[in-house]
Amino acid sequence: MLVGARTAFAADPPRVATVDWAQAETLIALGVPPVGLGQMDAYRTWVGGELPDATRDIGLRVQPNMELLEQMDIDLFTLSPMYAALRDRVARVADVESVSIYYRGGDVWSNLEAGTRELGALVGRKTAADRLIADTTAHIERLAEQVPADTPPLLVVQFMDARHVRVFGRNSLFGAALNQLGIETAWTGETTLWGFALVPLERLAAIDDARVAVVEPLPVGVADTLSASVMWQHLPAVQAHDVMRLPASWGFGGLSSGERFARDVVRALNSDASPAGLSRALPATR
Amino acid sequence: MSIVPHITPARLCGLFALVLFVLAVSGLQQVAPGDWPGAVFAPNPDNIRDILVHYSWLPRLFAALLGGAGLGLAGVLLQQTLRNPLASPTTLGVANGAQLTLLLATLFAPALLVHSRGLVAFAGGALAMGLVFALAWRRALAPAVTVLAGLVVNLYLGALSFVFILFNQEQLKGLMIWGAGALAQNNWGGVLYLAPRLGLGLAAAAVLARALAVLDLDDVNARNLGVSLKYVRAASLAVAVFVTACVVAQLGIIGFVGLAAPAIMRLAGARTLAARLCWAPVFGALLLAVTDQVLQHLTGASAALIPTGATTAVLGAPLLLWLIPRLALSRTTPPAQSADPEQRHAAPRRLIAWAGMLALAMAGIALLIGQGADGWTWPLVDAWADTGVWRLPRVLAAGAAGAMLALAGAVIQRVSGNPMASPEVLGITAGTGLGLLALIWFVPAAGTLGMLGAGTGGALITLGLLLAINARSGFAPERVLLTGISVMFLFSAVQRIVLAGNDPRTQAVLAWMWGSTYHVDLTTALVVSVIAAAMLLLTRPLAMWLDLLPLGMPTARSLGVDVTRSRLLLLGIVAVLTAAATLIVGPLSFVGLLAPHMARLLGLSRARDHMLGSVFVGALLMIAADWVGRQLLFPAEIPAGLVASLLGGAYFMWLLRRI
Repeated sequence: MLVGARTAFAADPPRVATVDWAQAETLIALGVPPVGLGQMDAYRTWVGGELPDATRDIGLRVQPNMELLEQMDIDLFTLSPMYAALRDRVARVADVESVSIYYRGGDVWSNLEAGTRELGALVGRKTAADRLIADTTAHIERLAEQVPADTPPLLVVQFMDARHVRVFGRNSLFGAALNQLGIETAWTGETTLWGFALVPLERLAAIDDARVAVVEPLPVGVADTLSASVMWQHLPAVQAHDVMRLPASWGFGGLSSGERFARDVVRALNSDASPAGLSRALPATR
Repeated sequence: MSIVPHITPARLCGLFALVLFVLAVSGLQQVAPGDWPGAVFAPNPDNIRDILVHYSWLPRLFAALLGGAGLGLAGVLLQQTLRNPLASPTTLGVANGAQLTLLLATLFAPALLVHSRGLVAFAGGALAMGLVFALAWRRALAPAVTVLAGLVVNLYLGALSFVFILFNQEQLKGLMIWGAGALAQNNWGGVLYLAPRLGLGLAAAAVLARALAVLDLDDVNARNLGVSLKYVRAASLAVAVFVTACVVAQLGIIGFVGLAAPAIMRLAGARTLAARLCWAPVFGALLLAVTDQVLQHLTGASAALIPTGATTAVLGAPLLLWLIPRLALSRTTPPAQSADPEQRHAAPRRLIAWAGMLALAMAGIALLIGQGADGWTWPLVDAWADTGVWRLPRVLAAGAAGAMLALAGAVIQRVSGNPMASPEVLGITAGTGLGLLALIWFVPAAGTLGMLGAGTGGALITLGLLLAINARSGFAPERVLLTGISVMFLFSAVQRIVLAGNDPRTQAVLAWMWGSTYHVDLTTALVVSVIAAAMLLLTRPLAMWLDLLPLGMPTARSLGVDVTRSRLLLLGIVAVLTAAATLIVGPLSFVGLLAPHMARLLGLSRARDHMLGSVFVGALLMIAADWVGRQLLFPAEIPAGLVASLLGGAYFMWLLRRI
């Protein structure tokens, strides 16, 4: 896609702005951090990682500030199909390219790699993209070797409140990362386009051979409620294995988020489980 | 006024109880095939099926029953107290008040939620209700004023919540599930919390019942009987709010049950207050429990959460539409606004000229002053290419939308002689919103043109519905408004379901729904401006009707007005105006309610002056709202419709206090 037109950038990286956090993360990993990013503060909270000082907040992701973009001299604006409604207006101030990871169906990890390559080509960093993919693959392979042989399928959940969870299936970022590690994803039920399902806790009762992995942050009070909940304590997956607690990861991110998640999973699998005295079902520390 | 003679409250409740029993037994057999009585009464802790039945399925059933009963009770009390068959626990802003305080606690003081979640919700509900009371107190909590105050407080608190949701979607995802009334339980805590509180509410209602029954008489007769109406009403409202807040805190926002249970029982023949107090809680309990059971059967394996509270509201909307022609409204209509309470301004022309000049000045400010990459900037000749091209369409569109909503509001307020009337209340804005919502959901990459089309489609469907349902009553204003309120019910319920689903697409939906001028291009802005001007010219010759219609149907008819036809034409104009404006500023702005009010209070009482004055005030408000919204949290933008609600709502509340 229009790759030829952008080779001129190879020496001088283009000024890129984006509203998609997965793409922002990937651009940073490629060494072309965006100069404009939608909802920077929220990005820091949910995706994490360093942002260069030069990066400016450009407003809400669905409505980036056009007057500001106009004044910022943007060369390239990248978005995902979710933000397609922005294309026409942004096209008036910069070249617009759409890169799709979660909307296209198929294997998420291949989509992540393809998306990274597309972005790399767009900003004139094809080699950096190839290197990033190779490095990530190598890292994941190393991590996969450290996965204990008896690792059960993982049931990756994120608590919304004390009664509901987002549970991540195979076609989510988390599921794809687990697949790379050679770990099964326990949730095989229906999921949305982003690979998760929003379900009340009791739906997890049907899954027995699995280990629960809770992705932080845990909403306030949920830990207390759960340790007092007979039903949670008796869920087959909670009974069968210690509950694993994973540091926050952005579930709709790019290759780097996936890699980070894989690293955290392997670290948690190899660390000693719950400290004595704390609720077996939901260790308060990781 | 029962529809089918042999329906009685007892028979209807019996039927629902039977349905519930069948659903519950078949549900139980799905959860724990085989020995379900054992699971219910003596659960085996080693068997997950028993645990599920005992700690999840059963508490959920009881929570639904208790919640429904509480809302039914609150509904009866409110409807009796406000003498309004369509009052409901949410009318007083209790639910939205609780939502706002829970939201603030989640964002700024999460520790508060650990042990006192209920208290936080209750405080919010009580504060919202207190605000409503404060606004209506000077009029001795007169029904019409109380309902109006409730409407304004509701919209205001809702708008405030939306601002936070727009910027903190991830942090608030749990609260959104609560806001849609998901009934899932995983212990008996909720039931044990609700049961004694509901008992307390029932006892208080029993004590108040006799005094409340007097409210069926009119004020003068009741006072002659020695009942202090003010205090009985206040006590009854307080009980209703207490019960509602408990249910809301525990189960989330559950629409429609508080409204429907008393109304259906009344139609089924529960004529006395005592009968309604007995049957409405029973029916409310059954209604919510049946809905919840059906949903549990249906949503079996789906990936999206379909919360019960919002679903009852979605199901309720058609029932409400069906109920409207069957409600006896004559007795319960809020007393008409006194004919002309405001002083007529001596020189209306000069006043209108002033308003027009102010609107123009605001447009100038919005075009020339704003923040950019280097902070605040004053106009420079070359900056126009950077900023003006973006600002002009927005200012133009905001002005036109404000003007159209104001004009629509002025017309509908005069046609109905009802101060609560506004295009928002007519439901056309909500219909437009539903159309947009459907598009964003089913056509992920739709462009601006598609959105315009879908919005118009939604508005037209609503209009058709409005006309079809009200044709027989000759477009009686109260019934037209009730139709609109039903559509709003549907819209807010669908919106809650969307929010609870917490799909990454939600933010786009929110930004559109809450009225941003962001997506307007110059062509659209010009088209909308032309429509606004054309409609203004079109309504000028109709001013005579608008002077006569507020005098009441008999008077207007005797003066030679074809009431039905004139109402139909005027409503058609209102619909077109509203649809065009909603596409720009969303379904939630106050401008259609506010601008005509302000114009009238300034002393513009003749229809011609009133309309023109409203148009300028509306344009001024919306341009100001759009500009403030773009500057306040720069570079993030708050949708103009939201800012208009916040600015306008504050003014309106201040105004209400003085009516």
